[in-house]
Amino acid sequence: MILAVLFANSEGNILIERFHGVPAEERLHWRSFLVKLGAENLKGAKSEELLVASHKSVSIVYTMIGDVCLYIVGKDEYDELALSEVIFAVTSAVKDVCAKPPTERLFLDKYGRICLCLDEIVWQGLLENTEKDRVRRLIRLKPPVEP
Amino acid sequence: MPRSLAGDLTDPEMAQPYMKKDDDDSDIEYSPFFGIEKGAVLQEARAFHDPQLDARRCSQVITKLLYLINQGESFTKVEATEVFFAVTKLFQSNDAGLRRLVYLMIKELSPSSDEVFIVTSSLMKDMNSKTDMYRANAIRVLCRIIDGNLLTQIERYLKQAIVDKNPVVASAALVSGIHLLQANPEIVKRWSNEVQEAVQSRAALVQFHGLALLHQTRQNDRLAISKLVSSLTRGSVRSPLAQCLLIRYTSQVIRESSNTQSGDRPFFDYLESCLRHKAEMVILEAARKITEMDVTSRELAPAITVLQLFLSSSKPVLRFAAVRTLNKVAITRPLAVTNCNVDLESLMSDQNRSIATLAITTLLKTGNESSVDRLMKQITSFMSDISDEFKIVVIEAIRSLCLKFPLKYRSMMIFLSNSLREEGGFEYKKAIVDSIVTLIGAIPDAKEIGLLHLCEFIEDCEFTYLSSQILHFLGNEGPRTSDPSRYIRYIYNRVILENPTVRASAVSTLAKFGALVDELKPRIFVLLRRCLFDTDDEVRDRATLYLQTLNGEVAVGNSEKDVKEFLFGSFDVPLANLEASLRTYEPSEEPFDISLVSREARSQPLQDKKAAGKKPPAGAPTPAPVSAVDAYQKMLSSIPEFSGFGRLFKSSEPVELTEAETEYAVNVVKHIYENHVVLQYNCTNTIPEQLLEDVTVYVDATDAEEFSEVFSKPLKSLPYDSPGQIFVAFEKPEHVPAIGRFSNVLKFTVKEVDTSSGEADEDGVEDEYQLEDLEIVSADYMLRVAVSNFRNAWENMDPESERVDEYGLGARESLAEAVSAVTSILGMQPCEGTEVVSSNARSHVCLLSGVYIGGVKVLVRLSFGLSGPKEVAMKLAVRSDDPEVSDKIHEIVASG
Repeated sequence: MILAVLFANSEGNILIERFHGVPAEERLHWRSFLVKLGAENLKGAKSEELLVASHKSVSIVYTMIGDVCLYIVGKDEYDELALSEVIFAVTSAVKDVCAKPPTERLFLDKYGRICLCLDEIVWQGLLENTEKDRVRRLIRLKPPVEP
Repeated sequence: MPRSLAGDLTDPEMAQPYMKKDDDDSDIEYSPFFGIEKGAVLQEARAFHDPQLDARRCSQVITKLLYLINQGESFTKVEATEVFFAVTKLFQSNDAGLRRLVYLMIKELSPSSDEVFIVTSSLMKDMNSKTDMYRANAIRVLCRIIDGNLLTQIERYLKQAIVDKNPVVASAALVSGIHLLQANPEIVKRWSNEVQEAVQSRAALVQFHGLALLHQTRQNDRLAISKLVSSLTRGSVRSPLAQCLLIRYTSQVIRESSNTQSGDRPFFDYLESCLRHKAEMVILEAARKITEMDVTSRELAPAITVLQLFLSSSKPVLRFAAVRTLNKVAITRPLAVTNCNVDLESLMSDQNRSIATLAITTLLKTGNESSVDRLMKQITSFMSDISDEFKIVVIEAIRSLCLKFPLKYRSMMIFLSNSLREEGGFEYKKAIVDSIVTLIGAIPDAKEIGLLHLCEFIEDCEFTYLSSQILHFLGNEGPRTSDPSRYIRYIYNRVILENPTVRASAVSTLAKFGALVDELKPRIFVLLRRCLFDTDDEVRDRATLYLQTLNGEVAVGNSEKDVKEFLFGSFDVPLANLEASLRTYEPSEEPFDISLVSREARSQPLQDKKAAGKKPPAGAPTPAPVSAVDAYQKMLSSIPEFSGFGRLFKSSEPVELTEAETEYAVNVVKHIYENHVVLQYNCTNTIPEQLLEDVTVYVDATDAEEFSEVFSKPLKSLPYDSPGQIFVAFEKPEHVPAIGRFSNVLKFTVKEVDTSSGEADEDGVEDEYQLEDLEIVSADYMLRVAVSNFRNAWENMDPESERVDEYGLGARESLAEAVSAVTSILGMQPCEGTEVVSSNARSHVCLLSGVYIGGVKVLVRLSFGLSGPKEVAMKLAVRSDDPEVSDKIHEIVASG
């Protein structure tokens, strides 16, 4: 299960978050934990360099894309390897929508599109689509091009 | 949902002007959501009702609504309903971008069941649309919002969608199936033919989702999974994600199938072949699964080799995955990982601290004795730039290493003591102190140096808890060292410098030195007398108590040993029980008697279904929790026939004598006295149309020769859902832990009840109901009583009482299973967490304590070892207050 997908700006303010299977009372804990993790480790990291951590029985893969931090938390079958697939799908889709690694402003400008991308990639805790070209077409309700 | 993340959403900064980094102050850009307000956005949402829809404007409004939802803004029920109804109007527009947002918005709003009907027809229409993407999205939205009834209506379409030629539609249906399986398993299981077809799909993701769903629908059917795996491992699974799933399922099949000996092992060969796959994810998954299996070193080697290659990968996730796997392997098979040591050492400087920490802790497990010193040096430089969380992991690894190479204790003790001096939070410092305490316990040579390190630490310790813990430990260990006087200075400094809690602990520690070291006694008394003038009353009280009892001014028991036992003996009353008893104690002439407090560690509240249904009125004081034994003692002593039985020794937990959901629910509680046993049958009548009268339990004790029935207390009537109790008392020889099997039959007169009026017929019919048999076993004569310090308690018991023997326990499922079986046969309390067996352990020591009938303290050391594949051997050492009881424990184990 993908427990959380969370976008935050460099100050730690949440831009988008999606939780699945996490009780409401634990979400605050996760938010602060992830933001703290990012504050400690993402400074000086290269854009899109993946960082990875584990906390209790869950895995966390996180990165910085442009000015925006992205955290993905998973457990069971979504270990660090599966999560790196998910984060790769999300970052490519975001870059595709924004045409480059986004600044916070650009990210907010494309907010609706990014929400749609996320909806295509992760659906209620499961990975659904992975390729950015496909996601780009899907959010415009266009069928994917057959390989 | 309000949020308060440090400086986040409530922070106005979110809506502050956005500034480009390279621009100066004059060139300010605003966030598109600057100054956004819920009320205004809801107003804007009225645009959804326009007869001429402006798709662009509507999309912007939906985006704003999404932003509000993502920022934790909550809508009232009315607002949500209004927005939902407005959004449904947008189905009139054929603008693709807008429709996509509408689908997302409906999912976000998750309408309530009485609102869903508004969109179902639109969504059903979309689900049958010619446009593939409408179909896919409508399926996802419908599956999110519908219930089981509606699902049966659209099931036909979903089955078609699973085999749709458009992979997006098929995936949408399959993923929906995975979600729907939780609530409607019986419906989703009917789709297996279609899902099976999807697994053969050429589209990679369809195959992945199909495989996941197929496995979930069949996960309880081993044979089906085995067939699935064997057909797929031969075929071609395209997507690496699906391949990873298949690897997991294959290893599950291997684990569950017992015939691993046969020469032909297609499943294992498949896993091995995956080590040569082109996708890194697949290789790692296969390697990970192989390392988790019980394989020979030769079979393990290729997996370790690929993991080693990943250690130097440029991708951090792969390095992390590899080192995490190797770390696990190192716990059970350190030698297999030694080849990777060079690569692991280079990872110690990895940018990612999670990887570096895992590398270090792995090295600490695989390193040999000669490399310890070098490793410790490297770690010292590493420790300064990692967080406490990682430091704790390292400290724990060092503790295990030290236990493995006891001769190297000196350098590791120095490392631990240096770590104590550095900055760090409570958890970190506690981990270090715990490690030093463990090492002192395990390595006698390390005792004095360890104690001195701890003494130095408390000179400058900011944590009251740790100071008190160390002072207590010093009191236990210090007096038994070669020169106890050297510690006094550190302890007395606490009395002068610290807060009242620490001062009180220090007084107790001083007193222990005084009691145990005769030559120090006069000088300790001088120090204790100074404490009589302390500003805190607890400190003064303790000093007074110790001075008077140790001086012999107040008589406690008959000998000096009694005094020491009184002052420093282990406190064997669980604090929760003591608290509960004190709360129920009513001030009277009769003093509170601590010996009457239950020693049973576990407390099971008296189950009374009738009371459970009725909640106390609001504002009424909640009754204090009373331990089960106290409550039973009170209840039983109120029955005149039982009042002569003396003190209740133990009450068992209720044993069910009927299966769940039968006509009559009966469980029994066994009350053990010195020479009696009372069986309390708790009966519930679950049939509203019946009233039971003159209810008795006929107990046949022919298989329990030493018991003879002395009294039975039947139940006059047992109406529906109103539990009642029947008691049957037996006499047994005094102090003899008699065992036996009792068969039980419930006998009663049953009367029909008119449920509308609640009146019962005059005439009844005699009937009986067979209950399950009941056994009284040896464990019933043992109280689970914990000791706080097992080693001290063991050493304080007479070695003459020790009885040791060895047993073969035969083939067992696991070591943990053997530990729990022996523990439950004896019915004793596991101490110091030793009931937990680490996975893959080849040996284990479990410590148990208890009080045997007659009030005899018993301590047991169980040493388990695996010989052969699953053969478990056990060494049992018992010490007790009475050597005969030690023999008895061996008899129990031998007959169990």
